[in-house]
Amino acid sequence: MLMSMNKKALIFRIAEIIILELKLEEITPETFDPDLDLVDELGVDSMDLATVVLVLQDEYGITIDEDDYPKLRNIRMIAEYIEQKQAA
Amino acid sequence: MNSTDIITIPQRDKGTKKWKFSELLAEPEVRRRWEEVRKFFFLRESTYDMTNLCNIRCDGCYYYEGEKQFAQGNEDPWAWRSLMKEEKARGITYVVLAGAEPSMVSQLLEVCYEEMPLGCIATNGFKFIPESVGYKIHISVWGNDETSLRVRRAKNLLSKQIDNYRGDPRAVFVYTFTRENIDEVYEVMNTIAANDCKITFNVFSSPVGYTGPLRHNKDSLDRTREVMLDILSRYTGNVLFSPYSVVAHTHQYGLHSLYGCSYPRRNPSTDIGLGRSFRQYRADLSWDRDAACCVPDTDCEECRHYAAGSAVVTARLYRHVTDPDTFKSWLDYVDTYLAVWVMGYEKGNNLCHGMIAPP
Repeated sequence: MLMSMNKKALIFRIAEIIILELKLEEITPETFDPDLDLVDELGVDSMDLATVVLVLQDEYGITIDEDDYPKLRNIRMIAEYIEQKQAA
Repeated sequence: MNSTDIITIPQRDKGTKKWKFSELLAEPEVRRRWEEVRKFFFLRESTYDMTNLCNIRCDGCYYYEGEKQFAQGNEDPWAWRSLMKEEKARGITYVVLAGAEPSMVSQLLEVCYEEMPLGCIATNGFKFIPESVGYKIHISVWGNDETSLRVRRAKNLLSKQIDNYRGDPRAVFVYTFTRENIDEVYEVMNTIAANDCKITFNVFSSPVGYTGPLRHNKDSLDRTREVMLDILSRYTGNVLFSPYSVVAHTHQYGLHSLYGCSYPRRNPSTDIGLGRSFRQYRADLSWDRDAACCVPDTDCEECRHYAAGSAVVTARLYRHVTDPDTFKSWLDYVDTYLAVWVMGYEKGNNLCHGMIAPP
């Protein structure tokens, strides 16, 4: 299924935030695989994730509960989570 | 935690404003501190019992409780080197070398340091650890020399500790407040300050089943709080602590009740954080997830241990972004933790001087 332009833009912006907040140097929003597992493959830990979550909350005006962190395994899942929260 | 449960610290009216994270970072001093502490978010710890040997015997010692004391010590440097390499490979970046008394096996400390450059050693300070081991060194102090002789069977212990570590940038003295030694800290502080040493505070946390005289009660916690705050204001140059550290460690509820302990012993989740990566190795290099925490065999409901707080409070960033004072308190706590645990990190001035209730 083709991804909508909105979803693409959302994924791109989440990638930008993660790169900026975690100071990742060898990856760009264009090359960031949205299905890359942030914990297992990128090595993101709880404090990193908490930081990213706080910025996402600001940017998208949503509240992300601590218990939902396991749902945020990759950029695509984060994008879907944000969409669901905004639609609720 | 319901705010009405907190008896000793009244909740302040924080208003109804919902603060954005970017707003909390708007103050330049706060932003600077945040940027400073977040550089260390990469730290991932595990702890290691180095040996079952010790040169003194202390009442209420954590090591000589439970099963771990019976582990056969492994003194093979190659086994330790191999373990450190494996730990590094699975993402561990910080080691806490503890029980029973690490200074008894300094050759193993050297090996660990060669493989893993960030860490800390918990010692009674009786035997000097060579300067070539560049870890932070936490020297346990349980009262004045009279008390040390009674509780730890060690003569002139504070003098010996200071002789060994005066002027040593690795050294942080750790004063453990028990129910019996609260006001003795003034005498100890005079000595610490006269020798220009650094000190932080711990609160005795009973091992499972311990009912002895060191165990805290509400009155002793309240008195500990008063004394900590007084010492903090009198000896600013020597004490690594913050008002929020005082709150977190002298609250009538222990750390687990207040924050939810994130060590595997109390946290079944293996998704992320300590529940995923933390291990507590015994002296034979075995480990058991069900027993793994930074101070094994402590009664979790009673745990106010400084090492536990350093991980548990720090990990709760998300809960502390409710308002500027709560966030500043958390930053002070993390700033303290880094100054105590990381070589070269210098503690800044505390940003929040009020007593903020845990969120």
